[in-house]
Amino acid sequence: MHRLRLLTLLATTALTAAAFATTADAEVIIRIAPVHTDAHVENYNPYNLTGPHAYVQDFAYEPLWIDNVWHPDNDFPALATSYEVGADLKSVTYHLREGVKWSDGEPFTAADVVFTFNYAKAHLDFPIGYDIYNAEKDTGSIVDVVAVDDHTVRFELKTADSLARLNIGPVFPLPEHIWKDIADPVNYANPKVVATGPFTEVRDFSRNAFKLCKNPLYREAAEVKVDCIEYPQLSDNLQVIAAITNGDLDWATDGITDPEITYASKSPDNHYWLPPDAGTNLQLNTTKAPFNNLEFRKAMSMAIDRGTLVDIATFGLTTPAEYPIGEGMFYKDWIDTAALAPYQYLMTYDPEAAKKVLDDAGFVDKDGDGWRDNPDGTPIAFKMAVPAGWDDWVNTLQTVSENLQDIGINGEMETPEEGAWFDNIPTGNFDVYIMWTNLSSTPWFTYYSMFNPRSMVPGTLNEQAMHQMKIPGIEADLAAISATADVAVQKEKITSVMKQVAENLPVITLFSNPAWYEYSTRNFTGWPDESNAWARPNNPAGIHERVKVLLSLTPVAK
Amino acid sequence: MAFLLRRLGFYFGAFFVAITLNFLIPRLMPGDPATRILLSLRGKLRPDQIDAIRKTYGFSGSLWDQYLQYLWRLAHFDFGISTVNFPEPTASLLFYAAGWTLVLVGAATTLSFGIGITMGIWSAWRRGGFFDTFFTPINVMLNAFTPAVVALLLWYAFTMQWPIFPLGRAHEMNLTPGFNLETLLSVAWHAVLPVASIVIVSFGAWHLGMRNTMINLLNEDFVLLAKAKGLSDRRIRNRYVARNAILPQITSLALSIGFVLGGAFITEVVFNYPGLGKFTLNAIQTRDYSFIQAQLILLTMSVLVANLASDVLNVILDPRLRSAGRA
Repeated sequence: MHRLRLLTLLATTALTAAAFATTADAEVIIRIAPVHTDAHVENYNPYNLTGPHAYVQDFAYEPLWIDNVWHPDNDFPALATSYEVGADLKSVTYHLREGVKWSDGEPFTAADVVFTFNYAKAHLDFPIGYDIYNAEKDTGSIVDVVAVDDHTVRFELKTADSLARLNIGPVFPLPEHIWKDIADPVNYANPKVVATGPFTEVRDFSRNAFKLCKNPLYREAAEVKVDCIEYPQLSDNLQVIAAITNGDLDWATDGITDPEITYASKSPDNHYWLPPDAGTNLQLNTTKAPFNNLEFRKAMSMAIDRGTLVDIATFGLTTPAEYPIGEGMFYKDWIDTAALAPYQYLMTYDPEAAKKVLDDAGFVDKDGDGWRDNPDGTPIAFKMAVPAGWDDWVNTLQTVSENLQDIGINGEMETPEEGAWFDNIPTGNFDVYIMWTNLSSTPWFTYYSMFNPRSMVPGTLNEQAMHQMKIPGIEADLAAISATADVAVQKEKITSVMKQVAENLPVITLFSNPAWYEYSTRNFTGWPDESNAWARPNNPAGIHERVKVLLSLTPVAK
Repeated sequence: MAFLLRRLGFYFGAFFVAITLNFLIPRLMPGDPATRILLSLRGKLRPDQIDAIRKTYGFSGSLWDQYLQYLWRLAHFDFGISTVNFPEPTASLLFYAAGWTLVLVGAATTLSFGIGITMGIWSAWRRGGFFDTFFTPINVMLNAFTPAVVALLLWYAFTMQWPIFPLGRAHEMNLTPGFNLETLLSVAWHAVLPVASIVIVSFGAWHLGMRNTMINLLNEDFVLLAKAKGLSDRRIRNRYVARNAILPQITSLALSIGFVLGGAFITEVVFNYPGLGKFTLNAIQTRDYSFIQAQLILLTMSVLVANLASDVLNVILDPRLRSAGRA
């Protein structure tokens, strides 16, 4: 009797809830979750990198130029319509789009760009992103920004740098008439978005969701087919994937271990594509034995079964790296296969050959404990660290550890808590770390982060340069690349860099991570896919192409 | 009275120790908020940007200075600004989450207690009967389940495999909560699975506790006397035995009510329920000290108050305790 009443109550509740869910909405709304959060807060500061930036960068605030990382030649003008690099490579001049208005009606001019640079200089703790020249430390690049006229700005550089535009282009200029009065930009919540992009109007804010709706003053407002972007609050991977699986989200870029079964099979509208993204390497601490020995590093590289890493440890979702260049095949247009072919043996799983390399170099078991020792007789025992919970990488290091033990090297995995793992990066207090790489539209940035000697100071080690191996040849090549605008020379120098990485093995190249990308055709079509790979299809902050992808979608007629 | 004063003094001491530990523990954990932000951005930040984030969180002054400031602010009920959910005041987030936790864990505790006690009475009364031999072992088994497994199973079964219930949240995403039928139904509907996942693993304990106390009491002389007087079974069961047996259960209930504000972080995380457990977990992961501290103070206070309440209740209800206090 009681139970029956309960069931009736439940059924009634279900029906009522279903009725709420189908409330008609004529507006075209796309739902995305570019960042995980437990609750939304009313903060729309485009340079608050703790979360708010993910909602307003690109969609509300526009940069001067949107680089197309996958197809650098096919990039997108934004607030500028063209740019010229000075003949001496010591300046970049941008021609700004005319007639652009901020969403409060004020005109956008060169003065706003100059203001943004000076504002960045005055508030160095506010991460606007300009690589400002610092005379004291002799670091940085941009010395000054000059308004040539209302719609022309010239960035003046300290030294010749053909790649400076890659740093300048993506910066989002701020409206001078709003920000000039803000004394503490870091702690400014920017409650009213004043920007030039397609979506600037915040609506229906709650801790659960808010909408960023069309900017009526956007220059191509008539062509924008999406009325609002809705940001539902979702606090982790699991929920994002569940939401897109059930059709509550249109576009996601979260990790998924078994996409075919848990996601794609649930609806014909559920699609995914996992193109190769940043590489995964082992960073070896080359300041100490045995990692200061090239033969040892070679043997490590040859002892690793990368087939198992890709197919099993990382669930078959990663992509093999073919050359020991510290990066996967992301920059395939830059890779000179003929020049790098002689190093492919380092990427081939061959434990016998690895053992021979170790034997020849004197890494043999001297104290009879079953493990190989250093040539001077000291024992080898090291730890390879990955944060607990990073499952694909934990599996990876487990496999690597087994591979190394197979050839007699006592290398074990350890899984510290994430915070401890991050804390140890700058200190240099480590043996081996598994690490991502930094991507850009040219390999220059990837290698610059890896080999800039300024990033190798213990105490302030950068995670890319943890290996701490200074290679003057690479430094010279990287400097030469930024000092020329000739693409042929740049390619030749990049090949030289890659060869030196392969020869020195400061990092052990493993594989490329996938760029997570899940999309639903329930409400929108026209998504980039393998046959239509015109831009990176991911939506977190930092992927400036995301606004172009969003604007290219076609709403499904309902 | 002296007994109660001594207890009060003890609780005050406990509170002071708790707030001091509360200040120290988060700071002894490795990692700071800035490094945590890196997690979500895996390599998309430059070092100067990381420094900027660190500055955003404003860590300054020695540990001692921070402690004094902390005590001062505590005395004014100022929990500061959440560093991770900037610029939301920690207090407003805390009370928002506490409200939903009260709904979720409160409902679950009430249901568990009600179901468990009722089943305990029945299985003790007819001990060895079908109801007892069937439900008692099952409830022992359910009680041993891990909450995480139950929550995930329910979540996967009824939101993904058979999408009957909503994926998460406390109510429809675009609903503005208010005191109306729409809100009430939406909240109830969204609470079904999370509440069920807590009740399933917790009502067995009440069942067993109640059953055991009942069985002991059923062998007492007063029960025999009641039977001899010819009272109805129902009257003996409910008025004589159950009423006595429930006293120790009420004491444990007071304690578990104290812990309600600890939240149910597994359930809340799985069902994206905006409760204290989930916010606290994230606050710990992101080193949002102000939130961790505020939550721990809230929890400490509610546990101490619940304990004090149960002390007072016991003194009132049990004369033996009063004389023990004087000795």
